Amino acid sequence: MSFQTVTRMLLGGFAENGFIFIMTLLMALPLGLVITFGSMSSVRPVKWLTRTFVWIIRGTPLMLQLFVVMYVPGLLFDVQMPDHMFGIPVNPRMYSALIAFVINYAAYISEIYRGGIESIPKGQYEAGQVLGMTRGQIFFKVVLMQVVKRIIPPMGNEIITLVKDTSLARVIAVQEILWIAEEFTAKGIIWPLFYTGVYFLVFCGILTLLFGYIEKKLNYYRG
Amino acid sequence: MAILEVRNLKKNFGDTQVLKGVGFTLEKGEVLAVIGSSGSGKTTLLRCLNFLETPDCGEIIVNGETLFNSDSRSSKSDVEIRKKRLHFGLVFQSFNLFPQYTLLKNVSLAVELLARERGDYKQNKSEILREIGASAREILERVGLSDKLDAYPFQLSGGQQQRVAIARALALKPEILCFDEPTSALDPELTGEVLKVIRGLKSSERTMIVVTHEMEFARNVADKVIFMADGLIEEEGTAEEVFDRPKSQRTKAFFTNYKKS
Repeated sequence: MSFQTVTRMLLGGFAENGFIFIMTLLMALPLGLVITFGSMSSVRPVKWLTRTFVWIIRGTPLMLQLFVVMYVPGLLFDVQMPDHMFGIPVNPRMYSALIAFVINYAAYISEIYRGGIESIPKGQYEAGQVLGMTRGQIFFKVVLMQVVKRIIPPMGNEIITLVKDTSLARVIAVQEILWIAEEFTAKGIIWPLFYTGVYFLVFCGILTLLFGYIEKKLNYYRG
Repeated sequence: MAILEVRNLKKNFGDTQVLKGVGFTLEKGEVLAVIGSSGSGKTTLLRCLNFLETPDCGEIIVNGETLFNSDSRSSKSDVEIRKKRLHFGLVFQSFNLFPQYTLLKNVSLAVELLARERGDYKQNKSEILREIGASAREILERVGLSDKLDAYPFQLSGGQQQRVAIARALALKPEILCFDEPTSALDPELTGEVLKVIRGLKSSERTMIVVTHEMEFARNVADKVIFMADGLIEEEGTAEEVFDRPKSQRTKAFFTNYKKS
């Protein structure tokens, strides 16, 4: 098995990881904000329901959540996951994987947002109020930029964790990079398994640089 | 007619009565200094006037218009309260500037947002924004910061930051400008520049309420002085009356302690 063939095949597997990564971020980042508003709601039942939900999601293994999303709809409701996405044929298991990842990451990300929002001093809100701003204006014009700056480091952490977590999708037979590499070991070739590490390292390296860049960009002010 | 009339204002936080029935009137162009020890309710009074706290009881009347009356359940919608707030401006003890914006933007932001509600905003947008920018520059010049328009708050000293906060409050042209211990968070050598700016604002058009621990300043600038103790007005009158001939024992004791420290 040539180095080039292995590289190409692993890259095919890593495309699945990349797909899970991108789709999870696109959906979990906004969904997380919705959960944040729920967990900060002044309506108590909403607040406690949301917080219980976050507790369950953060308190159980992602691997278990993958199994639940994979098996429960079929066993209990006889629901089949569709075999295409935006008209493109996909492995129906990809749906299960994405649902589990989006819910799991939205729960973690919501807590990052909450920490960021609650860290903004009350005086910032009051200054906006006294200047006649609406709640919306205070959030979007005064608070949001400050929240973004404060949550960049924990968000970078979370996003880098997601890159590596994507390979968990193999437990429900999504053929991501580690799945492909394991097929090589079955044929008695072990090195592709270790080679997969390079893919993750390079990808996370790029993300690290990106986050460093964003942090630097936002460093034009302090506070 | 008085520009501001406050009647029987009461405010509790849980079981603690912070204001126990405060009332006073203020004429247009007057400067009122509110003095008293910590915990006497001075700050809460200002926060009630600016609708950051809702009083439990009492009335607030500006220019004959009742802005707050605890007896009538006036609507407490965001829009309503926002309108009422604009009669007042507030300068905070801790400045509360917006760190991500330049000084110019700190001063012009709220005015720009408010201008969006004007009927002709869409047609004359660029002209309106230019005017707002120009008047923000002018105000910053008046507080002596015309060379720092594009600086960010963290690059300034505390005194400069507080001057920006004053400029920011002035930009909305409030009828009554309130200061909540504007120099208490400053190093002693920086209080002078801020007090000088406040003194310079005194005019027949501008009514001001200053909560302060700077007795010299209060004596020199205020037309009227209120001494608060335990959530009540213990003594009020002109600066000379309160400072030179206090009637109440508590006022006398306060000044004695103040001079000692």
